[in-house]
Amino acid sequence: MSAAPPRRLGLALLGTEICVLFQRKRTWAMLLALAAVPVLIAIAVRISSSPRPGRGPAFLDQVSQNGLFVAVTGLVVAIPLFLPLTVGVVAGDTIAGEASNGMLRYLLIAPAGRVRLLWVKYVAAAVFCVAATLTVVIAGLLIGLILFPVGDVTLLSGDTITVAEAIPRFLAIAAYVTVSLLGLSAIGLFFSTLTDVPVGAMAATIVLAVVSQILGALPQLDWLHPWLFSTYWLGFTDILRQPVSWESFGDNALLQGGYILVFGALAYGRFLTKDILS
Amino acid sequence: MTQPADAELAIETRELTKRFGSQTAVNSVDLAVPLGSVFGFLGPNGSGKTTSIRMMLGLIAPTSGSVRILGRESPADLAGILPRVGALVEGPAFAPFLTGSQNLARLDSADPLASTRTRSARVAAALDRVGLAHAAGKKVHAYSLGMKQRLGLANTFLMPRELLVLDEPTNGLDPQGTREVRNLVRSLADEGTTVFVSSHLLAEIEQMCTHAAVMSAGRLVAQGTLDELRSVGIARVELTTPDVGAACAVLATLGLLPEAYVADAAHLVTAPLTGDRRPAAHEMVAALVAAGVRVDSFVIQESSLEDRFVALTGEGFEIVQ
Amino acid sequence: MSRSSSLGRWVPAIAIPALIVTGALVVPLQASASSDLPDQTPRQLLEFAASANVPALSGTIDQTSNLGLPDLSALGSVAGGAGGSGSSGSGGTGLSSVIDLATGSHTARVFLDGGNARVQVMDHLAERDVIRTADSAWFYSSGDQTAVHVALPAHDGTGDTARTAPDGTWTPQVLAEKFLSEADVSTSVTVGEDTTVAGRSAYTLVLTPKDTATLIASVTIAIDSETGLPLSVAVDAGADSPALEVAFSQLTIGAPDAALFDFTPPAGTTVTEQALPTKAEIQAKKDGSQKDGSQKDGATRNGAEASGKSAASAAEQPTVIGTGWATIVSVPASAVPAEMLTSPLLDTLTQPVDGGRVFSTAVANVLLTTDGRVFAGSVPVDALLAAAAGR
Ligand SMILES: Nc1ncnc2c1ncn2[C@@H]1O[C@H](COP(=O)(O)OP(=O)(O)OP(=O)(O)O)[C@@H](O)[C@H]1O
Ligand SMILES: [Mg+2]
Repeated sequence: MSAAPPRRLGLALLGTEICVLFQRKRTWAMLLALAAVPVLIAIAVRISSSPRPGRGPAFLDQVSQNGLFVAVTGLVVAIPLFLPLTVGVVAGDTIAGEASNGMLRYLLIAPAGRVRLLWVKYVAAAVFCVAATLTVVIAGLLIGLILFPVGDVTLLSGDTITVAEAIPRFLAIAAYVTVSLLGLSAIGLFFSTLTDVPVGAMAATIVLAVVSQILGALPQLDWLHPWLFSTYWLGFTDILRQPVSWESFGDNALLQGGYILVFGALAYGRFLTKDILS
Repeated sequence: MTQPADAELAIETRELTKRFGSQTAVNSVDLAVPLGSVFGFLGPNGSGKTTSIRMMLGLIAPTSGSVRILGRESPADLAGILPRVGALVEGPAFAPFLTGSQNLARLDSADPLASTRTRSARVAAALDRVGLAHAAGKKVHAYSLGMKQRLGLANTFLMPRELLVLDEPTNGLDPQGTREVRNLVRSLADEGTTVFVSSHLLAEIEQMCTHAAVMSAGRLVAQGTLDELRSVGIARVELTTPDVGAACAVLATLGLLPEAYVADAAHLVTAPLTGDRRPAAHEMVAALVAAGVRVDSFVIQESSLEDRFVALTGEGFEIVQ
Repeated sequence: MSRSSSLGRWVPAIAIPALIVTGALVVPLQASASSDLPDQTPRQLLEFAASANVPALSGTIDQTSNLGLPDLSALGSVAGGAGGSGSSGSGGTGLSSVIDLATGSHTARVFLDGGNARVQVMDHLAERDVIRTADSAWFYSSGDQTAVHVALPAHDGTGDTARTAPDGTWTPQVLAEKFLSEADVSTSVTVGEDTTVAGRSAYTLVLTPKDTATLIASVTIAIDSETGLPLSVAVDAGADSPALEVAFSQLTIGAPDAALFDFTPPAGTTVTEQALPTKAEIQAKKDGSQKDGSQKDGATRNGAEASGKSAASAAEQPTVIGTGWATIVSVPASAVPAEMLTSPLLDTLTQPVDGGRVFSTAVANVLLTTDGRVFAGSVPVDALLAAAAGR
C-alpha cells in the first residue's frame, strides 16, 4: 500500500499546504469578496432608511439598532451561495489542481503518500472553511462597530444579553457555520479526485450545493430533507435563542460527519486506485 | 544475456505490461538495471518509456507484471522505496505562484524522512548544485523552460538517493546545462548512485551511460552494456581510390564482399566487416599496396549506437501505433 | 494481485455508507424498542397519569402533521406575512396560522416552574414566545418584533381549578374511574406496548373508537414510567405514520433557570397592552352561553331535526349531530365568517363535491355547502353530505 510510513502524520506537509493556500492570491481574493458581503450590507442599511421588520434578509431590521447584527445578517446572506462558492473552489482544487499543473506526481514521489496527501488536503480545505466564516463574522463586527451603535444584543427569544455575553455566541455561530461547510468540502475533495480539470471539480461542487438547497426547498421531497447536507445551514440562528438550543448544532455535526465519512471513503477509494497520468 | 541475481539489481521488471484501453503502451517488458550503473533508456517518441517509469514509481498501476526497485516490491512497498529514489518524470512541474525555493521546500516537507531543521540548508544546496542560486527567490511562472528543468533536477538532489530516475533530463537545457547534467550524472555515479536516464538523444547516452535498453512500440528490443549493444552492429571498411576494379578484386581475395560506388571524382569502395571475415587493417593495406592499388584514404568505420538504434526501431519517422 | 488490492481500497467507500444506512435504520428501531416495564391495567395507568405531579421541567416538543394536505407553507407565510405587517401581528391571521399548524412540523421548547411557564415556538430564523407568570402574560414574536402584554389579576390561591371537583377533590382514582366510565360507551381503552420517548421509558395508553363511522383509527398516549407525565400523543388515521403527533424529543425534570420567566420586551419592540375582560363582562358572557347551552342540549338530542329547523330558533348557533367520535358540527350560513368564504386560499384548499366544496384531511373533513352552511367532523365526506341533506 502507498500509505505513508507511520513515523509522521504529515504535520510538516500540512503546515506547508496551509501556507501555500494562503500564499495564493486567489485565496485572498475570495476572502476579500466574502468580507465585502457584510460591508455592503452595512453600507446599504446606513444610506437607506431603516428597513421595516419582516423585509429583506433575516436580522436586517436589527442592524441599524445594533451593529453586531451585521455579522449575523452577513452570514445569512453568505451561506446559500457565497460561502459554498469559495469552499467549492478550494475543495474542488485540492487534488485536481495539483494534477492539472503536474505537481501531483512530484508530491506522490516525494513521497507524500496518497492517504496522507488526501488527509492533508482535506484539513487545509477545512482550515479555509474556518477562515472564510471568520472573515464574514469579523468583517461584519468591524463594519458594524464603525457604522452603527453597538450595545446589548436582542436574541430571537426576545431576551437581551450584554456584548460580553454575545461574543462567545458569535464564535459559536462561526463554529456552526464552519462545521456546516465540512460536508461540502468532503464532496469537493471527492470530485477533485475524479478529474484533472480543477474547474470541473469546483463547478460540480458548487452546483451540488445549489441543487441541495433547491431540493431542500421542495416540500414534495421532505423525506429527503434530513439527508441533505444543506439542511441545517441556516440553523445557526438556534444559537441566538435563550437558552441556546444546541440540538441543531449536534444534528448538523452528525450529518456533516456522515458526509465526511462517506465522501472521504469515496475519495480514498478513488484516489488510491487512480492512475496519475498528469 | 544472463540475469544477475536480485540483490544486484536497482530496477527489475518482469513482464511489465500497461494497456490504455485497447492500446498496449508497455508490452511485457523485462528490464534489469544493475546497481551502480548509469542506465540509458532509449526509444522513439511514444515507445512507452515514460509509462514504464510511471509504473516503477507507483504513479500508475501495471495491467500485469511486477516491478522490484532496490530489492522491494512496487507498488506494495512504495513507502519503503520512494524516499530512496529521486525522480524527474516527463518534465518538471511546479506551483507557478511559489518561488523556486518554496516549491522545493514544499516537496521536501512531503518526504516523511526529511528533517525540518536542515530543510532550508538542503534546499539552498540543491539549488546551488544546479546553478539556480540566484533565481531561488523568483516565482516559478517567471522561470524559463531550462530553469524549470534545472529546478526539477534540484528536487532530486534534496536528499541523498540510491537511485535517480531521470526522464529526459536535458530537455530544454542549453549546451552548458546539458554538459552540467552529464557531469552531475557522472559524479553521482562515482558516488555509487544508480542513474536511470531516459532519452532519445543517442549521443548523450553514448557519452554518459554504461548500460542501455531500447524500447520500440512498447516492447523492449535490446538491453545490455553499451559495448554489448554496439558489438551487434556491423563495422565496415571504406576506401577511396581511382583503381576501383583492382581494389574490389583485392578485397574479394581477402574474403570480403566489396561494393563500388563511382560518382564524379569520388571512387568509393566499401565492404562490411563481419565477425568471421575480418582481416586486420594492416593486412588489407599491405595487400592493396602489393597489388599496386592507389589508395587515397582508408577507414575502418565502427558501428554506432545510432545505427543500432535505427536498425532496432526502424527508419520510419511516423509514430508507431 | 493488483486487481484484488485495488478492489480492497474501495472497501471503506462501500462499508461506511452501508454502516450509516444500517445505523439510520436500526437505531430508531432500537430507540423505540419496548422497554420492559411492569404490566399495568388501563385503570392503574390512568390513575398513575392523573396523579402525575411535575411542577418543573424543560423540554422540547415536536409536532408533526401528516394530514394529507398540500404543503402550503409558502402560501401560508405569504398570507401570514401580509397579515402580520398589516393587522395586529400577534401571530398572523387566523386562517394562515391554522394552515401553518396543520401542515408540516413544528418544534417548541417548554419551560415550566410552578405557576411560571414559557413556550417558545422555534420558527425558521424567528421565534414566537409565550411567557406566563403569576401576574402577567407576554406574547412575543421576533419576526415582526411585536409584543402583547396582558396583566393578570393576582392569584386567589385556590390552586388548580381543574383538579377540584364540585363536591371535593378529584383524586386520581376518581378521575380515572370517571374517565373510564364515560369513555366506555364509545371507546375501548387498552394498554399498548411499552415505548421510549425522549430517552425515557413510557407506558402507552391506546384509545380506539368503537364507532367505525369516524376517520380516527386510534389515539395513542405515551405516559412516562417515572412521573406519569404524558410524553406524546399520536392520532392515527389508518395511514403508515400518525396523522398528528405531539411528542417530547427532549425532557429534563427540574426547575429551569428562573431568569427565563423574567421577560422584558427588547428595545425597538412594538408593545400592545391588552386588558383582561372585567368580572362583569365575564358574568354577562357566562349568562349568554348558559342560555345557548340549554338550546344546544336540545339540539344534540335530536340533531337532525334541530338542523332542519335551525333557521327558526338557533339561527346563529352551531349545532351538534351525533355523539362520540363521529360527532358532526353544523354551522348555519349566517354564522359563517365572510372572511373564510372569500379567502383566496379557499380554492386551493378545497375540492368541489356534489353540493359544495370539501376541505379534506386525514382526521377530519369540512363541508361548505353551496347555500353557505358548514359541516365538520371526523367522519367521511359522505357522512357530512348526508348530514347536510338532513338525512
Ligand atoms: N493517458 C494515456 N491514455 C492513453 N494512452 C496513453 C496515455 N499515456 C500514454 N499513452 C500512450 O502510451 C504510449 C507510450 O507513451 P509514453 O508517454 O510512455 O511514451 P514515451 O516513450 O515516454 O514518449 P516520449 O519520448 O515522447 O516521451 C503512447 O503511444 C501514448 O500514446
Ligand atoms: Mg516520455
